[in-house]
Amino acid sequence: MLRFEDVSFRYPHSDSSVEHLSFHIQKGEFVALIGSNGAGKSTISRLSNGLLKPDSGTVYLDGTPTTSIRTSQIARKAGFLFQNPDRQICQNTVREELAFGLRLMGLPEQEIRERTREAIEQFSLDGDWFPFSRSRGERQRIALASVLVCRPQLVILDEPTTGLDYRECTAIMDYLTRLNREEGLTVLMVSHDMELVSQYAGRVLVLTGGQLIGDGATHDVMRDQPLLGRAHVLPAQIPALALKLDAGAKQPQFEDVFTVEEMFETICRLRKEMSATAGKGEVLS
Amino acid sequence: MNLLQYLPGNSVLHRLNPVTKLAAAFLVGICAIVSHSVVFTISLIILLLGICTACGLGKRALRLTRSLLVLGGMMFVFQLFFVRSGDPLLSAGGFTFVTRDGLSSAVLLGLRIVATMLPLMLLFAITEMNDLCGALVKRLHVPYRYAFIVTTAFRFVPLFTSEFHDIEDAQKARGVEYDGGIIKKLKLSVPLFVPLMMSSLKKVDAGAMSAQLRGFNLRTVSSGYREYPFTAADIGCILFSLLLVGAAAVL
Ligand SMILES: Nc1ncnc2c1ncn2[C@@H]1O[C@H](COP(=O)(O)OP(=O)(O)O)[C@@H](O)[C@H]1O
Ligand SMILES: [Mg+2]
Repeated sequence: MLRFEDVSFRYPHSDSSVEHLSFHIQKGEFVALIGSNGAGKSTISRLSNGLLKPDSGTVYLDGTPTTSIRTSQIARKAGFLFQNPDRQICQNTVREELAFGLRLMGLPEQEIRERTREAIEQFSLDGDWFPFSRSRGERQRIALASVLVCRPQLVILDEPTTGLDYRECTAIMDYLTRLNREEGLTVLMVSHDMELVSQYAGRVLVLTGGQLIGDGATHDVMRDQPLLGRAHVLPAQIPALALKLDAGAKQPQFEDVFTVEEMFETICRLRKEMSATAGKGEVLS
Repeated sequence: MNLLQYLPGNSVLHRLNPVTKLAAAFLVGICAIVSHSVVFTISLIILLLGICTACGLGKRALRLTRSLLVLGGMMFVFQLFFVRSGDPLLSAGGFTFVTRDGLSSAVLLGLRIVATMLPLMLLFAITEMNDLCGALVKRLHVPYRYAFIVTTAFRFVPLFTSEFHDIEDAQKARGVEYDGGIIKKLKLSVPLFVPLMMSSLKKVDAGAMSAQLRGFNLRTVSSGYREYPFTAADIGCILFSLLLVGAAAVL
Protein backbone atom coordinates (compact mmCIF):
# COMPACT_ATOMS: atom_id res chain seq x y z
CA MET A 1 0.00 0.00 0.00
CA LEU A 2 2.73 2.41 1.04
CA ARG A 3 6.35 1.72 0.23
CA PHE A 4 9.40 3.85 0.95
CA GLU A 5 12.46 2.91 -1.04
CA ASP A 6 15.70 4.44 0.22
CA VAL A 7 14.00 7.79 0.67
CA SER A 8 15.99 10.84 1.72
CA PHE A 9 14.68 14.33 2.19
CA ARG A 10 16.22 17.52 3.52
CA TYR A 11 14.38 20.75 4.23
CA PRO A 12 15.85 23.60 2.20
CA HIS A 13 17.97 26.01 4.29
CA SER A 14 18.02 23.64 7.21
CA ASP A 15 20.02 20.73 8.58
CA SER A 16 16.96 18.70 9.41
CA SER A 17 16.50 15.70 7.23
CA VAL A 18 15.35 12.12 7.03
CA GLU A 19 17.76 9.67 5.46
CA HIS A 20 17.68 6.31 3.68
CA LEU A 21 14.23 5.29 4.80
CA SER A 22 12.93 1.98 3.56
CA PHE A 23 9.78 0.26 4.73
CA HIS A 24 6.71 -1.31 3.27
CA ILE A 25 3.25 -1.07 4.75
CA GLN A 26 0.88 -3.77 3.50
CA LYS A 27 -2.77 -3.31 2.84
CA GLY A 28 -4.82 -3.65 6.02
CA GLU A 29 -2.00 -3.05 8.49
CA PHE A 30 -2.28 -0.78 11.52
CA VAL A 31 1.15 0.77 11.87
CA ALA A 32 2.39 3.27 14.42
CA LEU A 33 5.30 5.59 13.78
CA ILE A 34 6.99 6.59 17.01
CA GLY A 35 9.88 8.83 17.96
CA SER A 36 10.61 11.89 20.05
CA ASN A 37 9.78 15.43 18.96
CA GLY A 38 11.73 16.51 15.92
CA ALA A 39 12.59 12.94 14.94
CA GLY A 40 10.99 13.45 11.55
CA LYS A 41 7.63 11.79 12.05
CA SER A 42 5.63 14.57 10.46
CA THR A 43 8.15 14.74 7.66
CA ILE A 44 7.50 11.08 6.86
CA SER A 45 3.76 11.57 6.93
CA ARG A 46 4.10 14.53 4.57
CA LEU A 47 6.30 12.46 2.28
CA SER A 48 3.67 9.73 2.30
CA ASN A 49 0.92 11.87 0.87
CA GLY A 50 3.00 13.83 -1.57
CA LEU A 51 3.03 17.16 0.26
CA LEU A 52 6.80 16.75 0.24
CA LYS A 53 8.62 15.01 -2.56
CA PRO A 54 11.75 13.00 -1.74
CA ASP A 55 15.15 14.32 -2.81
CA SER A 56 16.24 10.81 -3.62
CA GLY A 57 14.57 7.43 -3.50
CA THR A 58 10.90 6.82 -4.22
CA VAL A 59 7.69 6.77 -2.26
CA TYR A 60 5.17 4.38 -3.78
CA LEU A 61 1.53 4.75 -2.93
CA ASP A 62 -0.48 1.78 -4.13
CA GLY A 63 2.28 1.07 -6.61
CA THR A 64 2.54 4.57 -8.03
CA PRO A 65 5.43 6.92 -7.21
CA THR A 66 4.13 10.07 -5.49
CA THR A 67 6.22 12.18 -7.82
CA SER A 68 4.25 11.09 -10.85
CA ILE A 69 0.74 11.96 -9.63
CA ARG A 70 -0.82 15.13 -8.30
CA THR A 71 -1.49 15.68 -4.62
CA SER A 72 -5.21 15.86 -5.33
CA GLN A 73 -5.11 12.38 -6.87
CA ILE A 74 -3.17 11.07 -3.92
CA ALA A 75 -5.85 12.56 -1.68
CA ARG A 76 -8.42 10.16 -3.10
CA LYS A 77 -6.41 7.16 -2.00
CA ALA A 78 -4.82 8.47 1.16
CA GLY A 79 -6.71 10.46 3.75
CA PHE A 80 -4.72 12.66 6.07
CA LEU A 81 -5.66 13.84 9.53
CA PHE A 82 -3.52 16.61 10.99
CA GLN A 83 -2.85 17.24 14.61
CA ASN A 84 -4.80 20.47 14.40
CA PRO A 85 -8.31 19.99 12.97
CA ASP A 86 -8.81 23.74 12.65
CA ARG A 87 -6.62 23.87 9.57
CA GLN A 88 -8.98 21.55 7.79
CA ILE A 89 -12.41 22.70 8.83
CA CYS A 90 -13.67 25.42 6.53
CA GLN A 91 -17.43 25.09 6.14
CA ASN A 92 -20.35 26.47 8.12
CA THR A 93 -22.04 23.23 9.03
CA VAL A 94 -20.82 19.75 9.74
CA ARG A 95 -22.89 18.49 6.83
CA GLU A 96 -21.20 20.87 4.40
CA GLU A 97 -17.80 20.07 5.85
CA LEU A 98 -18.27 16.36 5.20
CA ALA A 99 -19.63 17.02 1.74
CA PHE A 100 -16.69 19.26 0.85
CA GLY A 101 -14.17 16.50 0.21
CA LEU A 102 -16.74 14.49 -1.74
CA ARG A 103 -17.52 17.51 -3.94
CA LEU A 104 -13.81 17.86 -4.67
CA MET A 105 -13.88 14.26 -5.87
CA GLY A 106 -16.71 15.19 -8.20
CA LEU A 107 -19.24 12.65 -6.94
CA PRO A 108 -22.92 12.97 -7.86
CA GLU A 109 -24.99 15.03 -5.41
CA GLN A 110 -27.21 12.06 -4.52
CA GLU A 111 -24.27 9.95 -3.39
CA ILE A 112 -22.76 12.86 -1.49
CA ARG A 113 -25.97 13.26 0.51
CA GLU A 114 -26.13 9.56 1.15
CA ARG A 115 -22.55 9.19 2.36
CA THR A 116 -22.67 12.37 4.44
CA ARG A 117 -25.78 11.20 6.25
CA GLU A 118 -24.18 7.85 6.95
CA ALA A 119 -20.97 9.35 8.30
CA ILE A 120 -22.83 11.81 10.53
CA GLU A 121 -24.63 8.88 12.07
CA GLN A 122 -21.54 6.72 12.50
CA PHE A 123 -19.55 9.45 14.17
CA SER A 124 -22.49 10.57 16.31
CA LEU A 125 -22.31 14.08 14.95
CA ASP A 126 -25.08 16.51 14.17
CA GLY A 127 -25.26 17.79 10.62
CA ASP A 128 -26.37 21.26 11.70
CA TRP A 129 -23.55 21.96 14.13
CA PHE A 130 -21.41 25.01 13.55
CA PRO A 131 -18.06 23.19 13.57
CA PHE A 132 -15.87 26.04 14.81
CA SER A 133 -17.59 26.35 18.16
CA ARG A 134 -17.53 22.67 19.07
CA SER A 135 -15.08 21.21 21.58
CA ARG A 136 -11.60 20.15 20.58
CA GLY A 137 -12.52 16.47 20.57
CA GLU A 138 -15.62 17.06 18.49
CA ARG A 139 -13.69 19.13 15.99
CA GLN A 140 -11.14 16.33 15.69
CA ARG A 141 -13.98 13.88 15.16
CA ILE A 142 -15.50 16.12 12.50
CA ALA A 143 -12.15 16.34 10.74
CA LEU A 144 -11.68 12.57 10.91
CA ALA A 145 -15.20 12.01 9.62
CA SER A 146 -14.60 14.36 6.71
CA VAL A 147 -11.47 12.38 5.83
CA LEU A 148 -13.04 8.93 6.17
CA VAL A 149 -16.25 9.85 4.38
CA CYS A 150 -14.14 9.88 1.20
CA ARG A 151 -13.36 6.19 1.85
CA PRO A 152 -9.62 6.28 1.41
CA GLN A 153 -7.66 3.03 1.31
CA LEU A 154 -5.00 4.45 3.56
CA VAL A 155 -5.34 6.97 6.33
CA ILE A 156 -2.39 8.80 7.82
CA LEU A 157 -2.89 10.37 11.23
CA ASP A 158 -0.36 12.86 12.56
CA GLU A 159 -0.71 12.77 16.33
CA PRO A 160 -4.47 12.48 16.10
CA THR A 161 -5.17 12.39 19.80
CA THR A 162 -3.16 15.31 21.19
CA GLY A 163 -5.32 17.45 23.39
CA LEU A 164 -8.16 14.96 23.53
CA ASP A 165 -9.45 13.50 26.76
CA TYR A 166 -9.50 9.76 27.31
CA ARG A 167 -13.06 9.24 26.12
CA GLU A 168 -12.66 11.28 22.94
CA CYS A 169 -9.41 9.50 22.28
CA THR A 170 -10.84 5.99 22.59
CA ALA A 171 -13.85 6.96 20.51
CA ILE A 172 -11.59 7.89 17.61
CA MET A 173 -9.24 4.95 18.03
CA ASP A 174 -12.03 2.41 18.34
CA TYR A 175 -13.61 3.70 15.18
CA LEU A 176 -10.33 3.42 13.30
CA THR A 177 -9.74 -0.08 14.62
CA ARG A 178 -13.15 -1.19 13.44
CA LEU A 179 -12.59 0.17 9.94
CA ASN A 180 -9.17 -1.45 9.97
CA ARG A 181 -10.55 -4.87 10.91
CA GLU A 182 -13.77 -4.84 8.94
CA GLU A 183 -12.96 -2.90 5.81
CA GLY A 184 -9.23 -3.44 5.58
CA LEU A 185 -8.42 0.24 5.96
CA THR A 186 -4.66 0.72 6.20
CA VAL A 187 -3.69 3.00 9.06
CA LEU A 188 -0.42 4.81 9.64
CA MET A 189 -0.54 6.61 12.94
CA VAL A 190 2.11 9.03 14.16
CA SER A 191 2.16 9.17 17.91
CA HIS A 192 4.35 9.42 20.94
CA ASP A 193 1.70 8.14 23.26
CA MET A 194 3.08 4.66 23.86
CA GLU A 195 0.00 3.46 25.73
CA LEU A 196 -2.08 4.24 22.69
CA VAL A 197 0.40 2.58 20.38
CA SER A 198 0.67 -0.59 22.44
CA GLN A 199 -3.08 -0.82 22.63
CA TYR A 200 -3.95 -0.33 18.98
CA ALA A 201 -1.04 -0.77 16.60
CA GLY A 202 0.03 -4.11 15.20
CA ARG A 203 3.40 -2.93 14.01
CA VAL A 204 5.70 -0.14 15.07
CA LEU A 205 8.28 1.90 13.18
CA VAL A 206 10.82 3.59 15.44
CA LEU A 207 12.39 6.81 14.29
CA THR A 208 15.15 8.92 15.72
CA GLY A 209 17.12 11.79 14.22
CA GLY A 210 15.57 11.20 10.82
CA GLN A 211 16.57 7.54 10.70
CA LEU A 212 14.54 4.41 11.02
CA ILE A 213 16.11 2.33 13.79
CA GLY A 214 13.39 -0.19 14.42
CA ASP A 215 10.56 -1.91 12.62
CA GLY A 216 8.66 -4.81 14.08
CA ALA A 217 5.59 -6.18 15.76
CA THR A 218 4.36 -3.90 18.54
CA HIS A 219 4.92 -6.66 21.05
CA ASP A 220 8.60 -7.07 20.19
CA VAL A 221 9.33 -3.37 19.95
CA MET A 222 7.75 -2.68 23.33
CA ARG A 223 10.01 -5.24 24.97
CA ASP A 224 13.14 -3.93 23.30
CA GLN A 225 14.11 -1.34 25.88
CA PRO A 226 17.53 -0.48 24.44
CA LEU A 227 15.83 0.33 21.13
CA LEU A 228 13.21 2.52 22.78
CA GLY A 229 15.93 4.18 24.82
CA ARG A 230 17.82 5.09 21.69
CA ALA A 231 14.65 6.65 20.33
CA HIS A 232 14.13 8.55 23.60
CA VAL A 233 10.70 7.10 24.19
CA LEU A 234 9.43 5.32 27.26
CA PRO A 235 7.83 1.91 26.78
CA ALA A 236 4.19 1.49 27.71
CA GLN A 237 3.66 0.72 31.39
CA ILE A 238 2.43 -2.87 31.25
CA PRO A 239 5.15 -4.22 28.93
CA ALA A 240 7.69 -2.35 31.03
CA LEU A 241 6.35 -3.93 34.20
CA ALA A 242 6.30 -7.35 32.54
CA LEU A 243 9.90 -6.94 31.51
CA LYS A 244 10.89 -5.90 35.01
CA LEU A 245 9.12 -8.86 36.60
CA ASP A 246 10.87 -11.22 34.21
CA ALA A 247 14.29 -9.64 34.69
CA GLY A 248 16.75 -12.25 35.97
CA ALA A 249 14.10 -14.97 36.11
CA LYS A 250 15.12 -18.38 34.77
CA GLN A 251 11.75 -18.91 33.21
CA PRO A 252 10.12 -15.72 31.95
CA GLN A 253 6.48 -15.81 32.86
CA PHE A 254 5.30 -12.45 31.65
CA GLU A 255 6.60 -12.71 28.12
CA ASP A 256 3.21 -12.55 26.44
CA VAL A 257 1.75 -10.01 28.81
CA PHE A 258 0.75 -6.89 27.04
CA THR A 259 -2.46 -5.47 28.38
CA VAL A 260 -3.89 -4.86 31.84
CA GLU A 261 -6.23 -7.77 31.25
CA GLU A 262 -3.40 -10.16 30.40
CA MET A 263 -1.37 -8.96 33.36
CA PHE A 264 -4.33 -9.58 35.62
CA GLU A 265 -4.89 -13.09 34.26
CA THR A 266 -1.24 -14.03 34.52
CA ILE A 267 -1.00 -12.84 38.09
CA CYS A 268 -4.18 -14.71 39.00
CA ARG A 269 -2.84 -17.86 37.40
CA LEU A 270 0.50 -17.55 39.18
CA ARG A 271 -1.23 -16.89 42.47
CA LYS A 272 -3.35 -20.00 42.04
CA GLU A 273 -0.31 -22.10 41.14
CA MET A 274 1.53 -20.76 44.11
CA SER A 275 -1.21 -21.52 46.60
CA ALA A 276 -1.56 -24.93 45.00
CA THR A 277 2.13 -25.72 45.54
CA ALA A 278 1.92 -24.22 49.01
CA GLY A 279 -1.13 -26.43 49.76
CA LYS A 280 0.75 -29.49 48.53
CA GLY A 281 3.64 -28.56 50.74
CA GLU A 282 1.37 -28.56 53.81
CA VAL A 283 0.00 -31.98 53.00
CA LEU A 284 3.46 -33.36 52.54
CA SER A 285 4.83 -32.06 55.80
CA MET B 1 12.78 34.91 3.81
CA ASN B 2 10.56 37.46 5.41
CA LEU B 3 11.18 40.95 4.13
CA LEU B 4 9.78 42.64 7.20
CA GLN B 5 11.90 40.73 9.66
CA TYR B 6 14.14 42.55 12.11
CA LEU B 7 17.86 42.04 11.57
CA PRO B 8 19.87 42.69 14.72
CA GLY B 9 22.95 44.88 14.40
CA ASN B 10 24.85 47.72 15.96
CA SER B 11 25.45 50.15 13.10
CA VAL B 12 24.87 53.91 13.24
CA LEU B 13 21.53 53.31 11.54
CA HIS B 14 20.55 50.69 14.08
CA ARG B 15 21.35 53.01 16.96
CA LEU B 16 19.24 55.90 15.73
CA ASN B 17 16.17 56.73 17.73
CA PRO B 18 13.24 54.68 16.41
CA VAL B 19 11.21 57.86 16.00
CA THR B 20 13.99 59.29 13.85
CA LYS B 21 14.06 56.18 11.71
CA LEU B 22 10.32 56.37 11.23
CA ALA B 23 10.42 60.07 10.33
CA ALA B 24 13.40 59.65 8.00
CA ALA B 25 11.74 56.71 6.23
CA PHE B 26 8.67 58.83 5.63
CA LEU B 27 10.66 61.86 4.50
CA VAL B 28 12.68 59.84 2.01
CA GLY B 29 9.46 58.28 0.77
CA ILE B 30 8.01 61.74 0.27
CA CYS B 31 11.15 62.71 -1.67
CA ALA B 32 10.55 59.91 -4.12
CA ILE B 33 6.93 60.91 -4.61
CA VAL B 34 7.61 64.63 -4.96
CA SER B 35 10.48 64.31 -7.41
CA HIS B 36 9.76 64.20 -11.12
CA SER B 37 13.33 63.55 -12.12
CA VAL B 38 14.43 60.09 -13.12
CA VAL B 39 18.06 60.97 -12.42
CA PHE B 40 17.23 62.23 -8.94
CA THR B 41 15.23 59.11 -8.10
CA ILE B 42 18.00 56.82 -9.29
CA SER B 43 20.54 58.83 -7.28
CA LEU B 44 18.29 58.56 -4.26
CA ILE B 45 18.16 54.76 -4.56
CA ILE B 46 21.94 54.58 -5.00
CA LEU B 47 22.44 56.90 -2.04
CA LEU B 48 20.20 54.71 0.11
CA LEU B 49 22.05 51.59 -0.94
CA GLY B 50 25.35 53.34 -0.22
CA ILE B 51 24.30 54.34 3.28
CA CYS B 52 23.08 50.82 3.97
CA THR B 53 26.31 49.27 2.76
CA ALA B 54 28.29 51.65 4.93
CA CYS B 55 26.29 50.43 7.89
CA GLY B 56 26.81 46.76 7.05
CA LEU B 57 23.31 46.29 5.69
CA GLY B 58 24.36 46.12 2.06
CA LYS B 59 23.32 42.55 1.37
CA ARG B 60 19.94 42.97 2.94
CA ALA B 61 19.32 46.24 1.09
CA LEU B 62 20.31 44.70 -2.23
CA ARG B 63 17.96 41.82 -1.68
CA LEU B 64 15.15 44.19 -0.80
CA THR B 65 15.87 46.24 -3.91
CA ARG B 66 15.79 43.15 -6.02
CA SER B 67 12.37 42.09 -4.80
CA LEU B 68 11.10 45.64 -5.09
CA LEU B 69 12.38 45.82 -8.65
CA VAL B 70 10.07 42.93 -9.51
CA LEU B 71 7.12 44.94 -8.20
CA GLY B 72 8.45 48.09 -9.88
CA GLY B 73 8.86 46.16 -13.12
CA MET B 74 5.23 45.08 -13.02
CA MET B 75 4.07 48.64 -12.49
CA PHE B 76 6.39 49.71 -15.28
CA VAL B 77 4.69 47.36 -17.74
CA PHE B 78 1.20 48.49 -16.73
CA GLN B 79 2.05 52.15 -16.97
CA LEU B 80 3.78 51.62 -20.30
CA PHE B 81 0.58 50.38 -21.87
CA PHE B 82 -1.86 52.63 -20.10
CA VAL B 83 -0.33 55.98 -20.96
CA ARG B 84 -1.34 56.75 -24.55
CA SER B 85 -0.25 60.39 -24.96
CA GLY B 86 3.02 61.60 -26.52
CA ASP B 87 4.95 60.62 -29.63
CA PRO B 88 4.75 56.99 -30.61
CA LEU B 89 8.00 55.11 -30.01
CA LEU B 90 6.98 51.63 -31.03
CA SER B 91 4.12 50.89 -33.36
CA ALA B 92 3.18 48.03 -35.61
CA GLY B 93 0.28 47.62 -38.01
CA GLY B 94 -1.15 51.05 -37.21
CA PHE B 95 -1.27 50.35 -33.48
CA THR B 96 0.96 52.22 -31.08
CA PHE B 97 2.42 50.09 -28.33
CA VAL B 98 4.69 52.49 -26.53
CA THR B 99 4.68 56.29 -26.41
CA ARG B 100 7.35 58.68 -25.22
CA ASP B 101 5.23 59.91 -22.31
CA GLY B 102 4.32 56.35 -21.47
CA LEU B 103 7.92 55.28 -21.31
CA SER B 104 9.10 58.17 -19.16
CA SER B 105 6.22 57.95 -16.71
CA ALA B 106 6.60 54.17 -16.54
CA VAL B 107 10.29 54.42 -15.72
CA LEU B 108 9.55 57.02 -13.06
CA LEU B 109 6.76 54.96 -11.54
CA GLY B 110 8.87 51.83 -11.39
CA LEU B 111 11.71 53.70 -9.70
CA ARG B 112 9.33 55.46 -7.34
CA ILE B 113 8.00 52.17 -6.10
CA VAL B 114 11.51 51.10 -5.23
CA ALA B 115 12.48 54.42 -3.71
CA THR B 116 9.40 54.70 -1.48
CA MET B 117 9.29 51.11 -0.29
CA LEU B 118 13.00 50.65 0.28
CA PRO B 119 13.25 53.04 3.26
CA LEU B 120 10.11 51.58 4.83
CA MET B 121 11.41 48.04 4.53
CA LEU B 122 14.75 49.15 5.89
CA LEU B 123 12.93 50.65 8.83
CA PHE B 124 11.63 47.20 9.71
CA ALA B 125 14.97 45.59 9.08
CA ILE B 126 16.78 47.83 11.57
CA THR B 127 14.10 48.55 14.16
CA GLU B 128 12.79 46.19 16.74
CA MET B 129 9.05 46.47 17.06
CA ASN B 130 9.23 46.78 20.84
CA ASP B 131 11.58 49.73 20.47
CA LEU B 132 9.40 51.43 17.93
CA CYS B 133 6.41 50.96 20.18
CA GLY B 134 8.30 52.20 23.24
CA ALA B 135 9.71 55.24 21.47
CA LEU B 136 6.33 56.20 20.06
CA VAL B 137 4.88 56.11 23.54
CA LYS B 138 7.80 57.84 25.28
CA ARG B 139 8.71 60.53 22.77
CA LEU B 140 5.53 61.20 20.85
CA HIS B 141 3.16 60.34 23.69
CA VAL B 142 1.12 58.11 21.45
CA PRO B 143 -1.27 56.21 23.76
CA TYR B 144 0.24 52.76 24.36
CA ARG B 145 -2.96 51.13 23.15
CA TYR B 146 -2.52 52.50 19.61
CA ALA B 147 1.21 52.02 19.38
CA PHE B 148 0.62 48.45 20.45
CA ILE B 149 -1.98 47.87 17.74
CA VAL B 150 0.39 48.93 14.99
CA THR B 151 3.42 47.05 16.23
CA THR B 152 1.43 43.92 16.98
CA ALA B 153 -0.04 43.93 13.51
CA PHE B 154 3.48 43.74 12.10
CA ARG B 155 4.53 41.09 14.54
CA PHE B 156 1.64 38.93 13.40
CA VAL B 157 2.70 38.93 9.76
CA PRO B 158 5.26 36.10 9.96
CA LEU B 159 2.90 34.11 12.19
CA PHE B 160 0.17 34.39 9.61
CA THR B 161 2.51 33.40 6.83
CA SER B 162 3.46 30.15 8.50
CA GLU B 163 -0.11 29.44 9.55
CA PHE B 164 -1.27 30.09 6.02
CA HIS B 165 1.32 27.70 4.70
CA ASP B 166 0.18 24.94 7.04
CA ILE B 167 -3.46 25.47 6.16
CA GLU B 168 -2.61 25.27 2.48
CA ASP B 169 -0.88 21.95 3.14
CA ALA B 170 -3.86 20.65 5.08
CA GLN B 171 -6.25 21.56 2.27
CA LYS B 172 -3.98 20.11 -0.39
CA ALA B 173 -3.94 16.86 1.55
CA ARG B 174 -7.72 16.86 1.28
CA GLY B 175 -7.56 17.16 -2.44
CA VAL B 176 -8.00 20.89 -2.95
CA GLU B 177 -5.94 21.78 -5.97
CA TYR B 178 -4.29 25.15 -6.18
CA ASP B 179 -2.60 24.80 -9.52
CA GLY B 180 -5.74 25.50 -11.55
CA GLY B 181 -6.85 28.71 -13.25
CA ILE B 182 -7.45 32.00 -11.47
CA ILE B 183 -11.25 31.58 -11.22
CA LYS B 184 -10.85 28.15 -9.69
CA LYS B 185 -8.29 29.55 -7.31
CA LEU B 186 -10.66 32.28 -6.14
CA LYS B 187 -13.40 29.74 -5.57
CA LEU B 188 -11.04 27.61 -3.57
CA SER B 189 -9.94 30.46 -1.34
CA VAL B 190 -12.71 29.60 1.13
CA PRO B 191 -10.84 26.56 2.49
CA LEU B 192 -7.80 28.80 2.99
CA PHE B 193 -9.23 31.96 4.43
CA VAL B 194 -11.91 30.56 6.69
CA PRO B 195 -9.45 28.52 8.78
CA LEU B 196 -6.97 31.40 8.75
CA MET B 197 -9.61 33.81 10.00
CA MET B 198 -10.75 31.40 12.67
CA SER B 199 -7.25 30.76 13.96
CA SER B 200 -6.46 34.49 13.89
CA LEU B 201 -9.54 35.36 15.85
CA LYS B 202 -8.63 32.73 18.40
CA LYS B 203 -5.07 34.00 18.64
CA VAL B 204 -6.22 37.58 19.04
CA ASP B 205 -8.69 36.55 21.68
CA ALA B 206 -6.06 34.67 23.67
CA GLY B 207 -3.57 37.51 23.16
CA ALA B 208 -6.02 40.10 24.42
CA MET B 209 -6.77 38.06 27.48
CA SER B 210 -3.13 37.52 28.39
CA ALA B 211 -2.39 41.22 27.81
CA GLN B 212 -5.23 42.16 30.08
CA LEU B 213 -4.11 39.75 32.77
CA ARG B 214 -0.73 41.43 32.76
CA GLY B 215 -2.21 44.86 33.29
CA PHE B 216 -2.28 46.07 29.73
CA ASN B 217 -4.73 48.88 30.40
CA LEU B 218 -2.64 50.28 33.23
CA ARG B 219 0.31 50.96 31.00
CA THR B 220 1.18 54.61 30.32
CA VAL B 221 4.15 56.79 29.34
CA SER B 222 5.73 56.34 32.76
CA SER B 223 5.49 52.53 32.71
CA GLY B 224 8.59 51.86 30.62
CA TYR B 225 12.10 52.01 32.05
CA ARG B 226 13.81 52.39 28.75
CA GLU B 227 14.47 55.96 27.58
CA TYR B 228 14.79 56.94 23.96
CA PRO B 229 16.99 60.05 23.87
CA PHE B 230 17.62 62.03 20.68
CA THR B 231 21.31 62.40 19.83
CA ALA B 232 23.30 64.50 17.39
CA ALA B 233 23.08 61.65 14.89
CA ASP B 234 19.30 61.83 15.06
CA ILE B 235 19.25 65.56 14.42
CA GLY B 236 21.72 65.12 11.58
CA CYS B 237 19.63 62.38 10.02
CA ILE B 238 16.43 64.42 10.15
CA LEU B 239 18.14 67.53 8.74
CA PHE B 240 19.62 65.48 5.93
CA SER B 241 16.24 63.97 5.10
CA LEU B 242 14.61 67.40 5.08
CA LEU B 243 17.37 68.60 2.77
CA LEU B 244 16.61 65.71 0.43
CA VAL B 245 12.92 66.63 0.38
CA GLY B 246 13.89 70.21 -0.48
CA ALA B 247 16.14 69.01 -3.27
CA ALA B 248 13.43 66.71 -4.59
CA ALA B 249 10.92 69.56 -4.72
CA VAL B 250 13.33 71.87 -6.56
CA LEU B 251 14.77 69.38 -9.05
N1 LIG C 1 9.30 23.46 7.07
C1 LIG C 1 10.44 23.13 7.69
N2 LIG C 1 11.62 23.74 7.35
C2 LIG C 1 12.77 23.40 7.96
N3 LIG C 1 12.88 22.48 8.92
C3 LIG C 1 11.76 21.85 9.31
C4 LIG C 1 10.48 22.13 8.72
N4 LIG C 1 9.55 21.35 9.31
C5 LIG C 1 10.20 20.61 10.22
N5 LIG C 1 11.53 20.90 10.22
C6 LIG C 1 12.56 20.25 11.06
O1 LIG C 1 12.66 18.90 10.70
C7 LIG C 1 12.82 18.08 11.85
C8 LIG C 1 11.78 17.02 11.89
O2 LIG C 1 10.51 17.63 12.03
P1 LIG C 1 9.15 16.83 12.15
O3 LIG C 1 9.09 15.83 11.05
O4 LIG C 1 8.06 17.81 12.25
O5 LIG C 1 9.35 16.08 13.55
P2 LIG C 1 8.27 15.36 14.46
O6 LIG C 1 6.96 15.39 13.77
O7 LIG C 1 8.83 13.98 14.63
O8 LIG C 1 8.25 16.08 15.76
C9 LIG C 1 12.79 19.01 13.04
O9 LIG C 1 14.11 19.22 13.47
C10 LIG C 1 12.19 20.29 12.51
O10 LIG C 1 12.77 21.39 13.17
MG1 LIG D 1 5.09 16.34 14.23
